[in-house]
Amino acid sequence: MKIKFTLGTLGIIALIIVFVISAAVVAIIDSRVTNKLEGVLWTIPAKVYSRSLDLAEGSKVNKSNLLRELNMLSYSENKNPSKPGEFIYKKNSLKIFLRGYEEQKSGLFEIFFQDGQISKVTNQLGISVDIVKFEPIAIGGMYPSHMEDRILLSWPQVPTILIDTILSVEDQNFFNHNGISFRSISRAFFTNVKAGDIEQGGSTITQQLAKSLFFTPEQTIKRKVMEAIAALLIEFHYSKEEILLAYINDVFLAQSGKRAVHGFGMGAQHFFGTSISNLETDQIALLVGMLKGPSLYNPRRNPNNATNRRNLVLGILAKRRHINSSSLEEYKSRALRVVSPNFRSETKYPAFHDLVRLELRENYEDSELRTQGLKIQTNLDPVLQDSLENNIKKTKAQLIKKYGKRLIELEGAAMAVDISTGEIKAVVGSSNPSKFGFNRSINAIRPIGSLVKPFIYLTALNKYDEYHLTTILDDSKLSVKSGGEIWEPNNFDKKFHGKIPLHVALWQSYNIASARLGMELGYDSVQEIFRKLGIDKSIERYPSLFIGSFEMSPFDAIQSYQTIAADGFYSPLRSIRDIKDLKGDIDLSYPYKIEQRIRPEPVHLLKFAMKQTFISGTARGYPGKTIESWQAGGKTGTSDDQRDSWFVGFAGDLLVLVWLGFDDNRPTPLTGRSGALEVWKNFINDIEPSAVEKNKLPRVKYVWTDKKDGLVSGEKCKNSLLVPFIIGTEPNTIPPVRNKCASRPNRNKSDVMQKLKKVFEEGQG
Amino acid sequence: MNNLKLIILFLALSILFSCASNQNKSYVSSDSISVSEFSSSVELLVSDTNFLEDEILKINAKNPSVQRILVNSDAYLKEGKLIQANSELERALRITKKEGAIYLRLAHLRYIQGLLDESKSFASRALLIKEISSWERLLLNVYLKRPI
Repeated sequence: MKIKFTLGTLGIIALIIVFVISAAVVAIIDSRVTNKLEGVLWTIPAKVYSRSLDLAEGSKVNKSNLLRELNMLSYSENKNPSKPGEFIYKKNSLKIFLRGYEEQKSGLFEIFFQDGQISKVTNQLGISVDIVKFEPIAIGGMYPSHMEDRILLSWPQVPTILIDTILSVEDQNFFNHNGISFRSISRAFFTNVKAGDIEQGGSTITQQLAKSLFFTPEQTIKRKVMEAIAALLIEFHYSKEEILLAYINDVFLAQSGKRAVHGFGMGAQHFFGTSISNLETDQIALLVGMLKGPSLYNPRRNPNNATNRRNLVLGILAKRRHINSSSLEEYKSRALRVVSPNFRSETKYPAFHDLVRLELRENYEDSELRTQGLKIQTNLDPVLQDSLENNIKKTKAQLIKKYGKRLIELEGAAMAVDISTGEIKAVVGSSNPSKFGFNRSINAIRPIGSLVKPFIYLTALNKYDEYHLTTILDDSKLSVKSGGEIWEPNNFDKKFHGKIPLHVALWQSYNIASARLGMELGYDSVQEIFRKLGIDKSIERYPSLFIGSFEMSPFDAIQSYQTIAADGFYSPLRSIRDIKDLKGDIDLSYPYKIEQRIRPEPVHLLKFAMKQTFISGTARGYPGKTIESWQAGGKTGTSDDQRDSWFVGFAGDLLVLVWLGFDDNRPTPLTGRSGALEVWKNFINDIEPSAVEKNKLPRVKYVWTDKKDGLVSGEKCKNSLLVPFIIGTEPNTIPPVRNKCASRPNRNKSDVMQKLKKVFEEGQG
Repeated sequence: MNNLKLIILFLALSILFSCASNQNKSYVSSDSISVSEFSSSVELLVSDTNFLEDEILKINAKNPSVQRILVNSDAYLKEGKLIQANSELERALRITKKEGAIYLRLAHLRYIQGLLDESKSFASRALLIKEISSWERLLLNVYLKRPI
């Protein structure tokens, strides 16, 4: 049977083909529309934040660090703070208009200082509020491939003035059209001709939203048709409120590095450092005005263009009676008040981000991090982080000046942690800290030199029935067979020091006495203390272990010193505080963990010897009063041929470790004292830690002893030092030569109490 | 059982010693209760978690800003929101590490979370603080001695 193709049949077939093709095109566009409006638009990268600062009555405060933080948060000084983000610093008080964060409301507060502490915090009415919370600094994000970044606003969060401004400028007829408005196009044409400038666009808000579905900027008729279809489909699927909200969250406002700033929520943060609810009409007008040309009207790059455009938008608002004429003049006279961007891209603190990613990897998939808008609050202290970065660079420059260009390739790593809680406050993984790449804080495994000695001495002091701080050690020539060879360690000063008290051997960092002590204690005992300090790696059974051949990363080394600095309480180091979901509920928290690994008394004795490192040893130079107020202690470390320069020290609440060396392991001219300690000192002097209180240790008593023979001495005797002992282990012998000046040790008054304590403490294990 | 008796005896004696030597600081010095009444309270502290919790939550911080945070933490604890309670306690610790009231709550929180070693460690850590009262000391000792 032959089919007769009449004109009519052909027409019908053509119509069917056109219909099928059109249906396919519409289906494709429809899928894009729904994908965008229900998918990509609502995917938000995880954001990483610093810790948020609490200023509370009774807490210690360092004024210069506080001012640095305000600067990093883009607060600006104003004699009479009246808007969010303004403050005035007087001699003993800070008046500040907080922007508000989480439960902390925005408002004017005054914080009073006395003797380095906060004495009072009041609100605008002068009523005491005890505590105020600052917003954290965003320090990075986990971006999806399209690099769009936004803060999603819900309908109640959108200020009315923002809606009025958008509709006045972009689409007055929004609530009456079906996606395309020929009326809008013709009205825009006449308005613009009349104004001699482009006051209004012809596209409706729905069309503009449709435009963003197509990621290339081509302007063809085909593309225009597709956008029109998309606009109609958007109107078909969604309510007007949903479309407007999607627009508010999706409009492109700026490019910040690789990151694209979308939506008014993020726009407010990016340009004004605050939430949209804190913006005033002139600031809203500026943001809405930028829609016409985000680059041309960028207030940072083109402030004049931006001002003119803002004033034009304000004029439209006045014309539509959203603001009156006096407000118009007032707003027009205002400066733009744009802050420098306080959002740190992920390139800001790369070493810290590495730690965050490592911790996250255990609990989250990559895709979850890139799309679910998680809010990762870390323990990073931005002031400490900035200072640590600056001081590693500054010290390297000083060392190059001193030792010459051979140190140009010198590398480094440093970490600062809270002693008690294990919170990581700052991390540097390179002498060029902003550079991504090899993170030496976790990846450089290097010989720790004399940093190992406190572990050996702690092994001894933990056997407190056998060793105490004045136990006499032998620092005479040593010769032992090790690995088929004769091993003869030497001291740094190439001298032998004979019989010396244990604490002197540690703070003078004598190698031979330490090696002998280690061998006496045995590898098993030493390994046991390593384990208690959090070092799981097996030790190699060579005597050189006892003077520093053991290799560790800076991260592992500071972890083991955390247990020492925290009086025997091990807390795993952690960079993350908690992770919240989009609603602000805690999704996962990283709580403070603690485990008593060693009794506090032997650790106290070790810390005493480490304090002497600052008073008379390899880190001497600080005034005694400062060392006492910080309860400071530390240890230098230098590996063979000065390939590695280490220093670890605690001061106040902080434990700080520094490593310097070359990546190719060649010798440096630096010792722990001349290299890493310099970074430590520059950092500590910059941030000035607060004083800390001494612990209460009823089982410890202090006795005057002689620095050479370790026997009883007195305050008035020469070469004497007040040394702590666990009660019952203190020396009693007074040599005849010191009979006159020595103080007789007191016997304990209450034998009954002692016995009770003994019963109790034995039970404590 | 003998151990428990020894513990109770020790706690009772140690609090009596503390009260005698430190009357100004002690919270219990003003209460004149008989030794038998007192030791039965101590026994309850060791054996009854709810009774212990009530006593812990009565311990106030000296610092008003810390106290404000502890009020939040206590409310979370009562609601069974242990993660939030812990966050508040850590927040308080960042203000000061000298308040026994914070460590007591941390020790208790870990106890009810089933983290008994941590509970003990928090109690041990708090015993190093200089300015804690005899009553706080006694309560901390309860966590060190609680049966697992």
